[in-house]
Amino acid sequence: MDKKLLVEDHIKRNKRLTIVICTLMALLFLAVVFAFGYIFFKGNILITLVFAFPIAIGYVVITYSVSIQTVLAAAKARPANPNIREEKLLIHRVEEMSIAAGLPMPKVYVQDSEYINAFATGKKPENSVICVTKGALSKLNQEELTGVIAHEMSHIKNHDILIATVTIAVVGAIALISEIVFYSMLWGGAGRNRRDGNPVVLIIAILLIILAPLFSRLTYLAISRKREYLADSNGAYLSRNPEGLAKALEKIKNDHPKVKPKGSKTIAPLYISNPFRSEARGSLWATHPPVDERIKRLRSM
Amino acid sequence: MLLWIGIIVLVIIAVLFISIYIGYYNKIIRFENRIDNSWAQIDVQLKRRADLIPNLMETVKGYMKHEKEVLENVTKARSALMSAKSPQENINADNMLTGALKSLFAVAENYPDLKANQNFLNLQDELTNTENKIAYSRQHFNDSVLVFNNTIETWPGKFFAKRMNKKTREMLQIPEASRELPKVQF
Repeated sequence: MDKKLLVEDHIKRNKRLTIVICTLMALLFLAVVFAFGYIFFKGNILITLVFAFPIAIGYVVITYSVSIQTVLAAAKARPANPNIREEKLLIHRVEEMSIAAGLPMPKVYVQDSEYINAFATGKKPENSVICVTKGALSKLNQEELTGVIAHEMSHIKNHDILIATVTIAVVGAIALISEIVFYSMLWGGAGRNRRDGNPVVLIIAILLIILAPLFSRLTYLAISRKREYLADSNGAYLSRNPEGLAKALEKIKNDHPKVKPKGSKTIAPLYISNPFRSEARGSLWATHPPVDERIKRLRSM
Repeated sequence: MLLWIGIIVLVIIAVLFISIYIGYYNKIIRFENRIDNSWAQIDVQLKRRADLIPNLMETVKGYMKHEKEVLENVTKARSALMSAKSPQENINADNMLTGALKSLFAVAENYPDLKANQNFLNLQDELTNTENKIAYSRQHFNDSVLVFNNTIETWPGKFFAKRMNKKTREMLQIPEASRELPKVQF
């Protein structure tokens, strides 16, 4: 029972950390925009401020505000249909977990995929979405499904979904800017005309643009891996049954449909386990901690 | 000069105290509301469950001619639930109902026609859903009580709670037999 306090403490700390990381991301983004403007407008800070900033910020605001639709579209998800028994039971399990977590009921979506997977998205618990693949509905039993939903509900409760949303928006924008700069430099003898402006600042600006995508992704991935463990243990606490999620993870591990996973790789970190897991386990680039380790930790609770 | 420093220090201490007081006041009220809210949630589910029972009986009646006792137990448990007043009474009656339904569904295994009945299947899903909801809202209720009690029993919350005249709340006791959460099974 004492664990509740631990969980609450974790969530509080998580919330603070979320704010810090989102702020850092925003600052990094502004720095990149500034660097971009500095190179593009030949060191003219005024024009940078007038043109680049509103456009860039507008881009992020729009991406952020339509993020739920973007993610759902990328996953090709549709709302769960209560007339189909499988999906009605899914809605039931989500209702139960939202009660256990004391959160408002998220919208429930289904993704047409043979893989066993699920993700949560949204900005705050009041307007969140939980999406589960058809593979999960047909291959998991209700106990395992409850475990998976509990894990996703914990992501919502821990405010992990906000950080994921912001990161997807910012990482996408930074990647776009880097690409523009990279190609314009590749094609440009134009570089020669851009000697106006302080060369030191210029070099820093270029370095920043090159390193920013790397940096923002790595930070996000590191946090993402840590939060998976946290969501696992909070989920086990919510459902009072770590075994459910452990069994589900085991099934995910041993499940290898022949079809390739659909959808965009950008949303990979959202899922309960990475659908594009060709990368080495435990690597710096992994979105999730190794499945075996997660199962081990769940079983030792 | 010294006087001014003294005044400033006093003002800072006062402001600090007031803001901590406000912080704790809000926190205690918020935690207390959460308990009441979780109880309301349990209540809603208990009612919903009681409402589902007559439908279930209607569906089952035609098939289960020789299981009078099982059916009677369910009806009895339902009326106990309807007349229950205190939270603990409610929970006890609900546990009775859970037990009665469990044997009903176990017996239903012997009636293939019943098991194939769409209506019965639906009701079974709904009842499992409300049963789980009750279990999880009870869990959330107890979690809320625990957080509330911990806040008003430890320093500095204890100090403020005393002035707000707040007492610790009781958790819902779950009888030994049903301590395990009902696992959803299909």
